[in-house]
Amino acid sequence: MSFFGLNVIGSAVDAFQQAANTTSDNIANVNTPGASRQVVNLSEASPIVGSPGYASWSGPGTKGDGVIVDSITRIHQDSYDSLFRGASASQSYFDVQQQQLSAIQSSFGEPANGVNKAFTDLQTAISQLASNPGGTSERQGVIAASQAFVATLNRVGTAIQSAQATAFAQASTTVDQANALIDKIAALNGQIRASKAVGDNPNTYQDQRDRYVDQLSQLLSTQTAVQANGSTLVTVGGRALVNDTQAYHLASPVVGTDASGNATLVIGLQGDPNPSNPAPVAVGSGQLGGYVDVYNKNLTPYGRKLDAFANATATEINRIAQAGYDKNGNAGIALFQPVIASAAITAGNIQVGVTDPAQLAGALASTAAGSLTAGMNAANATVDTAGALIGNTAFAHPGAAGPPTTGTLTVLVDGAAQTFAYDFSAGGNAGSVDAFVSSFNAAQLGVSAKFDATAQKIVFARDPNNTGAAHRAAQGANATTPDFTITDANAAVGGSQGTPTNSLLEMLGASALSGVKQDSTNAFGAADNGAANAMLKVFAKNAGAPALQTTAGNLAATVPGSVTVTGASLQDFAQIDVGQVLTIDAGSANQENVVVTGLNRVTGTVTFTAAKAHGIGFAIATTPAQTLAAYYGGLVGQLGTDTSNAITGNGAQTQLAANIDKVRQGIDGINLDEETQNLIKFQNSYQAAARTMNVLDQLLQTALGLIPGG
Amino acid sequence: MRIATSTIYAQQTAAIDDQQALYAQIGQQLSSGKQLTAPSDDPARIAQDLSVRTAIDTTGQQAKNVQSAVSELTTTDSALSSLTAVLQSARQLAIQGSSDTLTAQQRAAIGSQIDQLLQQSVAVGNTSYAGRYVFGGTTSAGNPPVQQQGNPIAGVTFGGNEQEQGQLVYNGQEFALSTTFQAAFNYQASDGSRDVFQTLIALRNTLANGTVIDQSAASINRAGSVVYGPQGLPSSPAPTTLGTPNAFAVAPVADSTGNFSLNISGTVNGVAGMATITLAPGAAIDDGVAPPLGTSLVAQINANTATTGVTASFDAKAQKVVLSGTGSFYVTDVPSPGAANSGNLTKVLGLATQADFVQNVSTQLGDVDHVLNAVLGARSVIGARIQALGSVADQLQTAVTDTTKVQSGIEDVDVAAAATRLSAQQTALQAAYSTTTRLESKTLFDYLS
Repeated sequence: MSFFGLNVIGSAVDAFQQAANTTSDNIANVNTPGASRQVVNLSEASPIVGSPGYASWSGPGTKGDGVIVDSITRIHQDSYDSLFRGASASQSYFDVQQQQLSAIQSSFGEPANGVNKAFTDLQTAISQLASNPGGTSERQGVIAASQAFVATLNRVGTAIQSAQATAFAQASTTVDQANALIDKIAALNGQIRASKAVGDNPNTYQDQRDRYVDQLSQLLSTQTAVQANGSTLVTVGGRALVNDTQAYHLASPVVGTDASGNATLVIGLQGDPNPSNPAPVAVGSGQLGGYVDVYNKNLTPYGRKLDAFANATATEINRIAQAGYDKNGNAGIALFQPVIASAAITAGNIQVGVTDPAQLAGALASTAAGSLTAGMNAANATVDTAGALIGNTAFAHPGAAGPPTTGTLTVLVDGAAQTFAYDFSAGGNAGSVDAFVSSFNAAQLGVSAKFDATAQKIVFARDPNNTGAAHRAAQGANATTPDFTITDANAAVGGSQGTPTNSLLEMLGASALSGVKQDSTNAFGAADNGAANAMLKVFAKNAGAPALQTTAGNLAATVPGSVTVTGASLQDFAQIDVGQVLTIDAGSANQENVVVTGLNRVTGTVTFTAAKAHGIGFAIATTPAQTLAAYYGGLVGQLGTDTSNAITGNGAQTQLAANIDKVRQGIDGINLDEETQNLIKFQNSYQAAARTMNVLDQLLQTALGLIPGG
Repeated sequence: MRIATSTIYAQQTAAIDDQQALYAQIGQQLSSGKQLTAPSDDPARIAQDLSVRTAIDTTGQQAKNVQSAVSELTTTDSALSSLTAVLQSARQLAIQGSSDTLTAQQRAAIGSQIDQLLQQSVAVGNTSYAGRYVFGGTTSAGNPPVQQQGNPIAGVTFGGNEQEQGQLVYNGQEFALSTTFQAAFNYQASDGSRDVFQTLIALRNTLANGTVIDQSAASINRAGSVVYGPQGLPSSPAPTTLGTPNAFAVAPVADSTGNFSLNISGTVNGVAGMATITLAPGAAIDDGVAPPLGTSLVAQINANTATTGVTASFDAKAQKVVLSGTGSFYVTDVPSPGAANSGNLTKVLGLATQADFVQNVSTQLGDVDHVLNAVLGARSVIGARIQALGSVADQLQTAVTDTTKVQSGIEDVDVAAAATRLSAQQTALQAAYSTTTRLESKTLFDYLS
């Protein structure tokens, strides 16, 4: 009998108290985010020399000297942390995308109240104008529809810009949050390392640190590695954010430009040598990644495409308006004009340039009467348009008596001259009137030809819808004059009817042509609806990027090889992207398709590799593949797909994160029922130990009672 | 398996959130009737939806344009129909007026009816539709294009142009919305034939003025000779007499008594009067002697002015005898008293006779028929256009209806399916609520004494 029995049971009382305390700490933290359950690790106490357990009679080490608390450790699986953090980062990413894209989707207002509606209304108004081109109310209707179209474009354009501003501001706030977390993690690393160094278990610090890393993972894609000293290395995209106790802060976001000259939201690290356009940190997903991607991969392309749509629509309509005449017989003015005159038309930089209904261009120039001085036919004969130009006796001028049978027409439009080589011998491109009309129109020189059977004349008219790349390049972005002239290099003989001539134009009845403007004074008609019908064609026509014309100064190569074209303006590039196919010298023998390999919207440089030799002044155009409405529909479809993907991704990642968290919490989370059981267990054990102590006490009392006088 | 207490609550909250979101979404679809309210609802079909919406609006506008075009063409057609009626009336009146049994007065009455028709045709020329003159060409609407000159109408001016108004373009086909003034009214025809107005004016003048050609149709002198009146210079020969050989374009032939006799039938103050003058061989055209002493043709005619209202004079410059009456009148060759036949005085003087008049009106009937044909030609062109546009209008209406069906297929919610889903969702949501409340009530603490 000794006091060692009391010592032994005493260790049990202490241990169970510790265990019950730990359980109560667990219960207390059942709702604390990031708290891991802690367990008390008990072990048998080794017998110590001189203790009953070490007595020789009992065989030393047969029984121990009670229980000791080895350690209190937290149950935690680091491997599930990284899984959870990955899913959590994705979920935050999609959450941000969903919010931002849903907002911009609402701003677009499709399908009921968006640009498409305004664009349709504009088309409807122009269609109405075509049915009564002289009507003031119809003209007013087109102006009103244009204003509504412009207002909608402005609204959506502004919404995209303010969404970008919001994304920028949110990214700034997120960077601040991340930096605060980085500081906290670094500080906790220090405390954990200090505790570990003296052999302690800094469970709570570790929980807090893991919690902060979890929070940081919601902001960006983190990778973590637990170091030997207990600290955690936190990296993002290969760059350290926390290394031991050292914190590396993210810099506030800046808007830089990428290789193609697109505005790009960049997150760098503080201390970057080039703070205005720092080396970007690959933040991956997370909220910050969400804002960066929304800015760079969604909003910027949306804005650019909307700008391209606005620009192409305005350019096409203006081309016709400026190629026409208004009700007063003056040259038409652009229907759409930029607010800031020096900048290209974009969704935000566009306004209606016509307020007076009479100023709306409705008529197109043509030589419908007067310019062809005489009909082509001789006397009262009828021209057989399929018959040969030579020998067709119906012609006033029957063609050449001898060679040459070839010549050149020069068509002057907007101050730019283009030539049309003709050959009126049998089988030539002008062998008959039909052949001439079709080959002349195929050349797309900005003027179209049509045989008027009634007047027995060929009527030449300005063709503002011209899609010829060469003509468009020569013409520039906008038509400037509605007039045109056509001259023939072969001299006119000017003789009487039937005199042979080498001049094709003279065979057709004129020595030279110039476009006759149409207005109320020369009886062509402000009411003529040529321009309204031409404008309607804009809506049905496949639109590509405007043609670029290279000039001597910016032509890098006339031989096959890499070609860099510089000096083009922003609007010329609106619809061009790296990887896009461009057509060079469309319609000529040298026509070829090339792929854009480099593009810089800021410097106006486009680079590609040409396989054929091209001379100075070659024209480049994108292949027009879709209508303006389809182009805009594609943008809305992209927006819808992006938003839908964000919504789906958000749902899926939320589910995934919840599932992983469930497993993680299953391992290290606190379960009240389990803790209650533990509590009961420890309570019972404590009671047993206490009673044992009581029994031992009584035994001792009994022993002590044997002592007389006790 | 082990589960953390907080996980149970988090799971339930997430489940209820999801169910509520779905519930709200189906509810919104049902209440709006649309399953496509934002591009993200159906990104694959949003582009199609946008183009379908555009197609409905623009096709609808095209249908309106075509209807308006048909209305305008119908207006033109009814104008041309009126013009046809006008010309047919004129034709009947002309036939009526060419009868030689009519008196000058009766003809004048028919002439004034033709004048009414003429005014009517000017009004037809100024027919307008929605503020546009349908025959005015492409000039800006302002004054009516057809303006009458003089009263009574002596001619018209046309202020429009010969362009067909607005071309309606549909599927690459062009439809002109009007006809030209030239086609409808035969105005300034390339073959030089009379237009509607000239035809009616000529007819009216012929009828209203009775038989009068109030001056000789042509110079009465023979080429190379001069007919002298009383105002000849002192050195001039004496006034030409009917007996002067070779002076006249038509050689005078006397009747069997050797005289020339002329019957003049006219009106004075609405009272018909008739006089016969007889000229002896050798009587002068104009001897410058006033009646009753003068024996010349001019003096003799003027001697009877009180009866016939007709005065005569010799226009030396034009080499014509000029007759003018206060009313309608006509002249006829008649035999002199006792003669068996008539002379040829009206031929010699180039004056129209009753027979010439009938001949004249018949010629003008040809003119009326010519312009009538032109008008009918224009009408048939307009009619063909109305027919063509009518079928286009039908096509467009069908297209609008069909496209609207497509839009409905894309956008509208299947109400039956959505309602079923709504009630299924409701059940699921209720289950989630009830599970949550039950879970909350169970922990081991409940059993701790």
